[in-house]
Amino acid sequence: MRRPFSVDALLYNAAMSDIINILMIAAGAVAGALARFYITEWTKAKFSPKFPYATFAINLTGCLAIGFFFTISQGITGYPSELDLLIRIGFLGSYTTFSTYGFDTLTLWRSKQIMTTVFYWLGSVIFGLGAVVLGAAIAKLI
Amino acid sequence: MNWLQGRFATAIAIGAIFGALSRFYATELAKSIWGREFGFYGTFLINVTGCLVIAYILTLATELIHNISPELRLMTTTGFCGAYTTFSSYELEARDFLEKGNITMLVIYLIGSAIVSMLAIQVGVLLARASNKKFYK
Repeated sequence: MRRPFSVDALLYNAAMSDIINILMIAAGAVAGALARFYITEWTKAKFSPKFPYATFAINLTGCLAIGFFFTISQGITGYPSELDLLIRIGFLGSYTTFSTYGFDTLTLWRSKQIMTTVFYWLGSVIFGLGAVVLGAAIAKLI
Repeated sequence: MNWLQGRFATAIAIGAIFGALSRFYATELAKSIWGREFGFYGTFLINVTGCLVIAYILTLATELIHNISPELRLMTTTGFCGAYTTFSSYELEARDFLEKGNITMLVIYLIGSAIVSMLAIQVGVLLARASNKKFYK
């Protein structure tokens, strides 16, 4: 008894695609957050705690990657939305962080290093934009 | 090297799942309310509220409650706030303004997010300090 366009089939497909979307985002998010955590811990052990090198590098590399993967996804017809959720929304969205960046800026400000604070605060934003553009440019070369 | 403990990783993972899904649904909600090109409204609100929350929690943890478990702190800040807020989506949306030649929105969005989120950080700190006074009156 095949009824390919039954309501049941439509609801099932809708529910499955929702679940798959959630799994994709969740998987990417866990990987991204753990990557961010381990990189931060490793950096704290190796470099001076006076500057948030980890968050800075993480946000910039994340911007580079999002420029790259977004441009790739635009260039390939039929690029699976699940992959986009996994990489861009899940991983990169979780890997990069605005809240840690904001709190880092506050910490720098409190340490009275005004020039460094401004460099970190504005530099993250400006270099981040440059990183996205660079990532997109690299993707276009492919 | 106790940061390799599985407990920390599990706590962060749980927070990150909630954070990323909240971010996704918030931006989808913004797109459904304001239109497909207005996902950045969602990203803006997410980043600002996330900054407020992380400042609140970290101020509580460092200045007021001295025995917060590291797993709880990691789950809520590194996990949830870290995954909930995003720098990459913010910059991608900014680049979209740049590509479309909309320099006004580019500047407003970039600088506006940066400034308002720092205000939110300050509000978070003040709320944390104020809540301490309420408890120990």
